Amino acid sequence: MRRFEATQLVLRLAGESPIVSNLGPTSSELWHAGHRDRNFYNYGNMGLCSSIALGMAMGTDEQVISLDGDGSLLMNLGTVASIGREQPKNLTVIVWDNEKWGQTGGQTSHTATGTDLEQVAQSCSITRTKTVSDLEDLEAAITDALASSEGPNFIVAKIEDIGGSTSVAPVEPEQTLYRFRNTFVEPRQPGD
Amino acid sequence: MNWAEQIVQTLKEWDTSLIVYVPDTSIHQVTSLIDADPYFKLVSATREEEAIGIAAGSYAVGRNSAVFMQSSGFGNAINGIASLCIPTRTPIPMFINLRGGLGEFNIAQVPMGRAVIPILDQLGLPHYTLEDDGNMAASLTGAMKLCHANRQPMGICLTQPLHGGKVA
Repeated sequence: MRRFEATQLVLRLAGESPIVSNLGPTSSELWHAGHRDRNFYNYGNMGLCSSIALGMAMGTDEQVISLDGDGSLLMNLGTVASIGREQPKNLTVIVWDNEKWGQTGGQTSHTATGTDLEQVAQSCSITRTKTVSDLEDLEAAITDALASSEGPNFIVAKIEDIGGSTSVAPVEPEQTLYRFRNTFVEPRQPGD
Repeated sequence: MNWAEQIVQTLKEWDTSLIVYVPDTSIHQVTSLIDADPYFKLVSATREEEAIGIAAGSYAVGRNSAVFMQSSGFGNAINGIASLCIPTRTPIPMFINLRGGLGEFNIAQVPMGRAVIPILDQLGLPHYTLEDDGNMAASLTGAMKLCHANRQPMGICLTQPLHGGKVA
């Protein structure tokens, strides 16, 4: 399964749901697959994608989707425990797992040497988990997750090791937050 | 109203209802009040940088958030502040229990405790240190107003003379 096609699938199934994407190719591919105001592209922070999504899920009743990566999540595994502790019903974490830190030269990550992120999630009291390796199974898992009111959902999606398949997206962090937030609240006025 | 109650009151006045924290003995005087108040959702993070991420996510969907941490944990949060909050302009009031001042008994708390203010200055972030509970209401209101006007995190440092601190 290639991440870009999988990202296109996520966008097709997400409807208007907010999507948070991990830094690097994950955000660039989301932008190329379909830029929209409800995409929150991460630009430089390491490991915080699913923490941001957790905060969003506790601030809105809407379904929130996190597009994380194995290397990034490994930098902040504690947030899986926090998701398990808070049990947000409206959060779906999808981990693109290429068993590498793709953004820094393709060094093998711990999922290549035995770490099973689905089992990590299970051991943190997240019961709705899946590991998938093709688009058909991914579609079934996401459809089931978004239709459920019993999240959190945790999907490990094994992807091919082909690196980023698009050019770097022209993402401006300040505009990302401004556009994204204004779909939830009235825009701020000068002097507010 | 004591200093802890005043912080709770100010958070409410600024519609700040999702509070993320990493436990700390002195800050517990505030977070225990927050935990008991149904106005708030108190979230326990495993590490301070994670707390910054959760708070930023909450703000992004329109629910104002604040974080509570100790100065040693501020060291764990720096890259999240620098690479997420500052580039996106996310206003997060950061209540930091500032260790390492007069009366500190633990050598390990001194270096990071004394580095917090210089690091905030290096990042260009405003900060205010509360040494006693006089004028608390005006100081806290001013801090929250500045934080949101600037659309950046702000350090609100709490000290041993204010809260009594942890005694060896």
